[in-house]
Amino acid sequence: MKTLEFNGNASEYFKIWIVNILLIILTLGLYYPWAKVRNNRYFYANSALDGRSFEYHATGKQLFFAYLIAMGLFISYVVIQEVSPLGSLVILGILFLIIPWVILRSMMFKMRMTSFSNIHFGFNGDIKQAYINFLAYPIALYIGLFAIFMLMLYTKSIDGIAGSILTISLLVILIGVMIYGLAYIKKRSTHYFIDNSQYGQGLFKTNLDIKKLAIILSKTIGVAVLSIVVIFIVVGLITYLTIGIETIAGFNQVGEDPNILKNKIALILPMIIAIYICMIFAMIFIISYSLARHRKYIYENTNLDEKINFISTLKVFPLAWVLISNFIIIIFTFGFGTPWAKVRVARLMLKNTHVKAENGFDEYISKEQSNISSLGEQIGDVFNVDVGIGV
Amino acid sequence: MIIDGKWHDKRSAAQFSASFKVSDDSFCINIETGTEYRGKLDSLELSDRLANVQRKIILENGSVFITNDNDSIDNIFKKRLKYKKMIHTLETKTIWILIAIVVSVIFGVSFFKWGIPYFSKEIAHSLPTKTNILISKNTLDLLDKHIFKKTEISQKTILQIREHFHSNIASLGKLEDGLKYNLHFRLLKSGDFSLPNAMALPSGDIILTDKFVQLCQSQEEMDSVLLHEMGHIVHRDSLQILISGTFISVAIMAIIGDVNFLADMSVGIGSLLISSSYTREHEHKADIYAFEKMLSAKIDPIAFSNIMNRMSEYMDKYLSSDDEVDLLEYISTHPKTNQRIAIAKHYSECFKKGLTTCSQ
Repeated sequence: MKTLEFNGNASEYFKIWIVNILLIILTLGLYYPWAKVRNNRYFYANSALDGRSFEYHATGKQLFFAYLIAMGLFISYVVIQEVSPLGSLVILGILFLIIPWVILRSMMFKMRMTSFSNIHFGFNGDIKQAYINFLAYPIALYIGLFAIFMLMLYTKSIDGIAGSILTISLLVILIGVMIYGLAYIKKRSTHYFIDNSQYGQGLFKTNLDIKKLAIILSKTIGVAVLSIVVIFIVVGLITYLTIGIETIAGFNQVGEDPNILKNKIALILPMIIAIYICMIFAMIFIISYSLARHRKYIYENTNLDEKINFISTLKVFPLAWVLISNFIIIIFTFGFGTPWAKVRVARLMLKNTHVKAENGFDEYISKEQSNISSLGEQIGDVFNVDVGIGV
Repeated sequence: MIIDGKWHDKRSAAQFSASFKVSDDSFCINIETGTEYRGKLDSLELSDRLANVQRKIILENGSVFITNDNDSIDNIFKKRLKYKKMIHTLETKTIWILIAIVVSVIFGVSFFKWGIPYFSKEIAHSLPTKTNILISKNTLDLLDKHIFKKTEISQKTILQIREHFHSNIASLGKLEDGLKYNLHFRLLKSGDFSLPNAMALPSGDIILTDKFVQLCQSQEEMDSVLLHEMGHIVHRDSLQILISGTFISVAIMAIIGDVNFLADMSVGIGSLLISSSYTREHEHKADIYAFEKMLSAKIDPIAFSNIMNRMSEYMDKYLSSDDEVDLLEYISTHPKTNQRIAIAKHYSECFKKGLTTCSQ
């Protein structure tokens, strides 16, 4: 079993990053596609397995026009969002409708532009499945949950014990449907991403059990509830001991005048900031939990041609620590610590990724692939659409 | 010169040790399997240098030679790389890194300090008048529903104020076609306490609260505040605040965006801190606008100082229990009252000298 390693370092990457920023500033943003390429090339080429490295193949020229179009769309989105609520609703609707297409095109572009040991990856998903997995299922789940919720509102109005029993059982059903539904969507989308991925002529395959995914999800929700309870107890205790409860109790008498409201806020501002920061940390912890657990489970059950296997040893606490300390680094360096933060994440991720390939990779050959436009990928990039299984 | 590396056949993962030999303008690659390739250096395709990551040379037949010996490669292809090496040079020379850091910091600070306000102003003023009406539509209805109560000022007083305003003050600050000033009177209460306030909507609507009208002891005082509000409308401040808010969110997203989900959470605090400093600037400019108009209309700017004093005395009575107001200086949107009063006094000096303009 071999472990991936990251050979880059923060000071080297800082130089690439700061020169990218300099050139982006001097060209008023036009350099961005080339900056992105240099950036990606650095991370890909420094990721190695058994002495062989990855490579990022896209060129600035290839990304440039798609980047201009995506930027144009983004700017019009921002402008319309500001001036017309109706217009922004329409745009959000359109965005929602094109997300499956963006995901598919991004995956195709990203995989084709990546190679390992001279062999290109590929992605062969079809658009119909993308719409089913990323649009139809989520909508169906929302409608289902909404229907149960409406039913609950109705049963709540029924008097007596029968009403209460009905409401409680509906609540249980609601939670059950939500967890099971989300686990199902996770299963389908992960299968879509992995089963359609290729390495040369090799095919990736995953086999996930919905029950296992539902358990991971339930535990994540449990962790979330627990961390919020802990925050409120801790912050509540500190508040009680320092500011006193009267200040907060008097808060609802403030009225509507913004000036007075502000003065009251000044008193409890430290507490609000404390809660805000704790919430951010809790959020990072919850995300770390979900990511590490999913990664471990998905890697274990994924293979390439049933010959090559994967293992993730990424643990929740080290991941949460890196992400939380990165957040602090970035805030306190006004963004200048970003290169360090990114290198830390890459190092952690790779050293916890292991590949079992007894016969090596030598038998793989690249397939002939047609060119593909980078538009979908650039739209996904500009609008921050999360693509891939997030590992 | 001999460079050690690895060789891949076209589209093959299989890797072989190989060496790359150069003499004059031709090369020879010896692969461990015994195969040998010869040719001219010009026929080779070369990847750009990036830090010290693996360098790739593509042969005419599509096979690939890779090596970590970047310096030797740069040496061999010196002529060809003259311009292509530029970015790598920037990335390795300390002086350029320092320049890049300095430029980024200067750019970042000036963008927030001058860039955003400048662009917000330009954009706000280049948008059609309709935008003003669009964004203030429903605002008054919303305020009426949730915050304001019906005025208790007599209809006669309201008519007098309106009459005076439209015949004497409104003409001092001309609005573009389609917009006109409109005075509204409302009661604003916090508990049993009536609050003095005046505010302007982009559409030209100016709202005065009952307490404000009561606190005004002279026509000049009311006019000074009305002119301040007209300044906000003429400057299109609401629109500017909207636009700069967008700039701030997008900029923060761009800075922290790489770290994805953290960005959303940081936008909140960042926007609050930055935008409140812009708002203070808007208030200051509206003050100056009012003072200049007052000078040209022969009204003593001291009136503004008087009404501000009275309003803050009145608010002090209400806030008497609170002493931690200073803490909020950071996120307060209005300049400190005593600073505003000082500027009013300065303009008043000019007024007494009979000047119609006043240098600061």
